[in-house]
Amino acid sequence: MKQALKTRQICLFFIAFAPITKLFMLPSVVASLAHNDGWITACINLALDLVTLLIINLACAKNNLTFIQLLESAFGKIGGKVICFLYAVYFLLKGFMPLQEQKEFVKLSLYINLPTDLFFLPFFALSFYLCLKPLRAIGRLADICWLFTLAGYLLLIFLSFSGVDFGAIMPVGVNIKGAIKASYHSLNWWGDCVYLLFFMGNFARQKRASVKIILSYVLSGVIVIVAFIFFWGTFTSIAFRQKFAMTELSKYTTVINNVGRFDYVGILFILFSCTFSLALPLYFCCRLLNYVFSLKSPWISPIIANGLSLFFTLFLNQRLSTTTFIFQRYFSLVFLVFSNILPLFTVFIKAKKHTDKGDCYEPNKT
Amino acid sequence: MKITQNLQKNKQALSQLQNSDDIVFLDLNIGKSTALLIFAKEIVDKDALGQLVLRPALGLEGQVDKDTLWDCFLNPEKQKVFESEQVIDQVLSGFALLLCDGVDFAVSFGVQKYEKRAIAEPPTSTVIKGPREGFVESLPVNVSLIRRRLKSPQLVFENDVCGRLSKTAVSICYIDNVVDKELLKEVKKKLKAVDIDAVLDSSYLAKYLSDCKPSIFKRVGNTEKPDILVSKILEGRVAILVDGSPIALTVPYLLLEDFQSPSDYYNSPYSATIARFIRLFSVILALLLPAVFVSAELFHLQLIPLSFLLTIVNSIKGIPLSPSYEMFFTFLIFEILNEASVRMPKYVGMVVSIVGGLVLGETAVNAGIISPPTLMIIALSGICLYTVPELEQPLSFLRLFFLIIAGSIGIYGLIIAVSSLMVHLTCSESFSVPLTAPFAPLVKKDLKDSFYKGFLAENNSRPQSLNNKNKRRLDKNVEE
Repeated sequence: MKQALKTRQICLFFIAFAPITKLFMLPSVVASLAHNDGWITACINLALDLVTLLIINLACAKNNLTFIQLLESAFGKIGGKVICFLYAVYFLLKGFMPLQEQKEFVKLSLYINLPTDLFFLPFFALSFYLCLKPLRAIGRLADICWLFTLAGYLLLIFLSFSGVDFGAIMPVGVNIKGAIKASYHSLNWWGDCVYLLFFMGNFARQKRASVKIILSYVLSGVIVIVAFIFFWGTFTSIAFRQKFAMTELSKYTTVINNVGRFDYVGILFILFSCTFSLALPLYFCCRLLNYVFSLKSPWISPIIANGLSLFFTLFLNQRLSTTTFIFQRYFSLVFLVFSNILPLFTVFIKAKKHTDKGDCYEPNKT
Repeated sequence: MKITQNLQKNKQALSQLQNSDDIVFLDLNIGKSTALLIFAKEIVDKDALGQLVLRPALGLEGQVDKDTLWDCFLNPEKQKVFESEQVIDQVLSGFALLLCDGVDFAVSFGVQKYEKRAIAEPPTSTVIKGPREGFVESLPVNVSLIRRRLKSPQLVFENDVCGRLSKTAVSICYIDNVVDKELLKEVKKKLKAVDIDAVLDSSYLAKYLSDCKPSIFKRVGNTEKPDILVSKILEGRVAILVDGSPIALTVPYLLLEDFQSPSDYYNSPYSATIARFIRLFSVILALLLPAVFVSAELFHLQLIPLSFLLTIVNSIKGIPLSPSYEMFFTFLIFEILNEASVRMPKYVGMVVSIVGGLVLGETAVNAGIISPPTLMIIALSGICLYTVPELEQPLSFLRLFFLIIAGSIGIYGLIIAVSSLMVHLTCSESFSVPLTAPFAPLVKKDLKDSFYKGFLAENNSRPQSLNNKNKRRLDKNVEE
């Protein structure tokens, strides 16, 4: 059977989409708890994700089944559907916070003269459209988007370089307790390793696939760590007040005086990749809902997933701080369980001989 | 209906041809037998008819039987026809048909002579260096242009007919040991399924060969130049030539093809690479410049450098329209002028340019209806559009769409629109080949003839994006 994805696309997927959502509000959230040791927070989260990624990779190498086939073979059809439903809810939650901060970012940073939530709503049209597409669309988008992510990121880093006080991260380790606490509270933003679970059995494993995938995830983590260092080095003690880190970083470069907000080119590149990155949890939520409820029509699950997200986005339109607090306080454990603990068990699942030909993970090939 | 030995009965079966004045039914006596020669007088070569048909036929003596009739003609394009429907088809296609009393078949002679245009350089793809021949409306001439360039027994032409009334000759052309057989099968299947009264141009077939899903982007490539067509079939594509059309179709189609110009292959790879990047940059500029300018003016003034912003502010002072309406209005004028200049006779074209460029543009700016930056941006965007003429129609539509989005939602709306376009493009396929290959999915080997143009000697493999049969050019294991 021809696989929907290639190992290269998985690697580029992590480089293109994994670091993006961590570059907006997370640096200021981490700075408020970990101060100059914010980058250590990122290292802890990265290490946690790498362990999970390694285990999922082992599971991938062990058999050619998709995650759903694996669940079905271990827990039966009903057991599999229950776990998938829980994961669908998890993806809905995982996508929610980045959506809220993106909405705030669009409102406060892009539309200074006319701040309204309405400008963010077209995102749901894109997300709906993407949810109708087959899995290979994600791989192909990754093939393109990694260039935009890296170009945008490098441009912003380059522009902000002159204003960074690298010495500000010293002394290392004085806020280690804060860093550990911050890493627990930022689990919502991390845990992208879980996507590999849903790529299982859908990509052709090439030579040294595991190494390539892990290295790409490390690169995505390094991108975030460097951003954290630059962020603290630029703003130090007032860092926690800078809600949208990446747009603030390059604001003070001298180039801008002559050529206008040139850094917006980088920001727009990052936003381009970010739209897909934000839509990904909804995309996987839709695919799981399709399986759980055996939906024949491809339209129903995107309507449900995007409709719910849209409803809560509008409902909580003035409550970003409250939402962030609730998610950090009450949902961090949920994210830890679904992103980092449950995937560890995949390696222990002994797959029975699966008789289903084809990919049961593609219920609505469009 | 079968041709019988009774000439009168055969004549009756072909009576529907007698309604038309251009069809000649010529009664003859060949030896002691009566015969009937049928032909369409405006589309046969009368000299050839006299020399190759009438002279040998009238030279026969005695009773004429099957073998005598068949053997007396030396015409290389003769064939036996046994069905009256086939006789009608052949007469209408320019063949001369001879029926003889006592013989249960008609002899068909290929003596067609159509008026045709001389081979010239196609106006859509002119080159400074390189072959200037272009296809014409005659299928045999087009076939000869291809065969002259590719003297290989592996080059195959398969003829078919499309169109219930037009019965247009269609030729599928491919290289047998390179083409993917599945692709060939699919092309033939789609052509067989064409049910239309007339195929007046190859673009009619292009619509049937495309997938049914609506898209503003084409799914079938086309070319007017035989050298380009040969290079495409050498890569493993299938070409479709249609009688009456100077444009040949090629499948599968990649979006990248439109960024490749024939001259890229005849010039140095450095200049070709620069030219391709300029085309890409122009397309991005054409698509996004008006939209970004409008959204910056309306929502994101911080994007514009201060000195430039002051210039804009001075120039838009007193303009009664909002930036988005102003841009839309100028865009509309540009499109009207464009449409008029294409449709108008050539000698009026100059007048349109003067009226459009000088009178309308200059006066509108002086009257304070539109600002100079808007005019400049629309003009630049319009010019950029024509660096890739094949994509002019979809890009023009997208430009308008992006402009509306930017005028109403601003830059974030534009990002969403571009992202949606990206999703659409990456999911689009032409005969199971992704439209955006070799970029998405990334095919490293094909990148050396993408926006970067490698040296000809480096280009020793066929595009991996296409599912062609042998991936290496000059493969020793493949029969040439």
